[in-house]
Amino acid sequence: MKKRRIGALTLASLALMPTLLSAAGCAGDDTIVLRVFNWEEYIDLGGEGSYEYDYEVNEDGSAPAMIEDFEAWYEETYGTPIRVEYSTFGTNEDMYNQLQLGDEYDLLCPSEYMIMKLAAEDYLQPYTDEFFDPSVEENYYVRHVSPYIRNMFESNRINRADESDTSTWADYAAGYMWGVTGFIYNPEYVDEEELSALGWNAMLAPQYNNRVTTKDNVRDSYFVALAILYQDEIAALAQQHTAGELADEEYNAQLAAILNRTDDETIARVEEVMNEMDANIYSYETDTGKADIVSGRIWLNFAWSGDAVYAMDLAEAGEDEEGNETEQALLNFFIPEECANLWFDGWVMPKGANTQAAQAFVNFLSRPDNAVRNMYYIGYSGVISGDPDDEEYGSLVLDYVKDCYEVDEAEAEDPMEYDLRYFFGSEDAVFMAEREQAEQRQLQAHYPTEDVTLRCAVMDYYGEEANEAINELWSRVKSESLDTWAIVVICVGIVLVVAAVLMLKFGNKIDFFRIPPKKGYKRIQQRNLD
Amino acid sequence: MRLHFSRKILGIPYAVFLVFFVIIPMLVILFYAFTDKEMHLSFTNFIQFFSDPTKLSTIVYSLVIAFITTAVCLAIAYPVAYILARSKMKKKFVILLLFVTPMWINFVLRINAIRELLSWVGLLGEANYFNTIFGMVYDFLPFMILPLYTTMLKIDESLYEASSDLGAGGFTTFTRVTLPLSMPGVASGITMVFLPSMTNYVVSDMLGNSKVTIIGKFIYEYFGTNWHMGSMVALILLIVVFLSTWLTGGFREDETVRGANL
Repeated sequence: MKKRRIGALTLASLALMPTLLSAAGCAGDDTIVLRVFNWEEYIDLGGEGSYEYDYEVNEDGSAPAMIEDFEAWYEETYGTPIRVEYSTFGTNEDMYNQLQLGDEYDLLCPSEYMIMKLAAEDYLQPYTDEFFDPSVEENYYVRHVSPYIRNMFESNRINRADESDTSTWADYAAGYMWGVTGFIYNPEYVDEEELSALGWNAMLAPQYNNRVTTKDNVRDSYFVALAILYQDEIAALAQQHTAGELADEEYNAQLAAILNRTDDETIARVEEVMNEMDANIYSYETDTGKADIVSGRIWLNFAWSGDAVYAMDLAEAGEDEEGNETEQALLNFFIPEECANLWFDGWVMPKGANTQAAQAFVNFLSRPDNAVRNMYYIGYSGVISGDPDDEEYGSLVLDYVKDCYEVDEAEAEDPMEYDLRYFFGSEDAVFMAEREQAEQRQLQAHYPTEDVTLRCAVMDYYGEEANEAINELWSRVKSESLDTWAIVVICVGIVLVVAAVLMLKFGNKIDFFRIPPKKGYKRIQQRNLD
Repeated sequence: MRLHFSRKILGIPYAVFLVFFVIIPMLVILFYAFTDKEMHLSFTNFIQFFSDPTKLSTIVYSLVIAFITTAVCLAIAYPVAYILARSKMKKKFVILLLFVTPMWINFVLRINAIRELLSWVGLLGEANYFNTIFGMVYDFLPFMILPLYTTMLKIDESLYEASSDLGAGGFTTFTRVTLPLSMPGVASGITMVFLPSMTNYVVSDMLGNSKVTIIGKFIYEYFGTNWHMGSMVALILLIVVFLSTWLTGGFREDETVRGANL
């Protein structure tokens, strides 16, 4: 018995040897370290909630995290061990602060306006030529990125401030996730026709007083205010477009110009709109909105499409965020017909980054099977569509979308054709879906149609000066402003209180403030004690 | 050279800690508050702060919210502490524990629970300022009860006996014996409630639906965009708190205060 145990121990220690050796090897010089800085919960972290795909599971049966898979894949492909130092941030501004404090990374995943800001401030390193070579097997990003996203990235200049700088988003950034903004609404209380007639004005509508929310974030609220402020101009533009007087691209460019106005007059008028919003809304929220709309506390919630999908899924499952059953009607998503904000998060490399490893990481995430895994885990829509000519991976993303939304025409209740050819660049991307899905629910939030994207505008970085003015505007809107006289009265009051306390404290030490003693002996006694 | 192991050496870790985590951060805040984006010495932040009615209003609102919170806390905590300290109950620590245990439950969880309660009653989104103050009172009450209780517990029983021997009634005993002797506890309770209720913006965000802006939120938002202004606001808050602590006697070093300053 004893002998056996010793044998087992020896075996165990032998089995441990390679691990120890490899651990020692890790400390060696040839291990590359890749420092990735990403949003929280913005990559497949494995375990519960992972997409069931044919990857090898961990020893305990759980799904592996994307990062571990990347490390294995990198070593297999390039022959060098790599270690990913993965850290996360909560807001673009937090990320920017970390950079300014001197933290060094190889790969960041900020949103579009922050990418423009970083580019304008010369923080970024462009992608190398190798990254764009489609003949390389491992260049999954260029090979599989959606033609729609590719076109957008290649046709937008990254540095709007400097006319001579002709570089585009594509030079500095590779897309990751994208989406649009709109309202999640509760059809039990909100009439769809009424809402579509109102558009963004719903934010000010008295019938939704205290039932609508906006984001506790200046850019999103500023966008809504702009859309309300210039609605006539935007409508006129749309009319010209439908009449055929304006080409698609021209229409989109002019719309974007309106929705990026930051001149002084605009800011002053936006403030009025935002004050009206402030009076009408239920709350400024960052993530309580999802719970509030699922529980029926609010009727309308300004939301990013990915969050909308999540909230609609919850409502469909009849659960709230904690998994308790609710008696909640299904939720719908509505993208206002006049315009919407198109956002994306992309991978950028700061100066001094290890470009080879960083690009390999982007490529690995862009391999369609991994893109599907991430999309499933995060719930947002990825920029990868899959190259239709690629036998192995080409159809994975489209298959995934069809798995989720395609219906059999004969069995469907009210089928309609849904066309996503613009995004997938493939003739196969037309399929039958339930009308409800295509017009109100997850499908249109996940992948809006081409018509919708035409009336979407990306919000640029405002520029240093305008940014400051808009932040000041935001703090004015959000705080209660007192009249000057009120401030003066309260300040005087405070000074009086302070003086009174001072008098009580030091009154007996300063002759001027001397309080006559009530009973003589008391004071004398105190003096004697001193 | 021989190393003399004296008591001074034992103090070195604390000195290092103080330098790195108290003095240097303070200096950094001071530096940022009085510089501009180009890191030149400038008073623009200072002038901007005092010429902007929004910022002054926010400070005033925070002061008022903090003042009401502190007053309500004091009004609730004083009788509780008095009754507990003076009662002859055997298991009074159980009651004290009941007041204090919520402190051991995660803060975010408690505020979420309050949020649900308020929503159930129908107040959420209707009375943002009330909700904020309600949440803060709930949250900071233990910080008021504990110092009051410890100070009152220390009041010698014989003082009460002496008081009644000399013919004082219950009320006179309270005003002439209990109240003056419990003042250190009151002062320390005020200090411990006043500051957090000026800055704890999680409460105002969650219960006031982010429509109540207090000075803490201001500091947070400025540190996302403009560190210099953020530092200036933080510095001004520091001065306000310093003043209120000084006025309530938090810096006195005499015997009576020591135990109360938890």
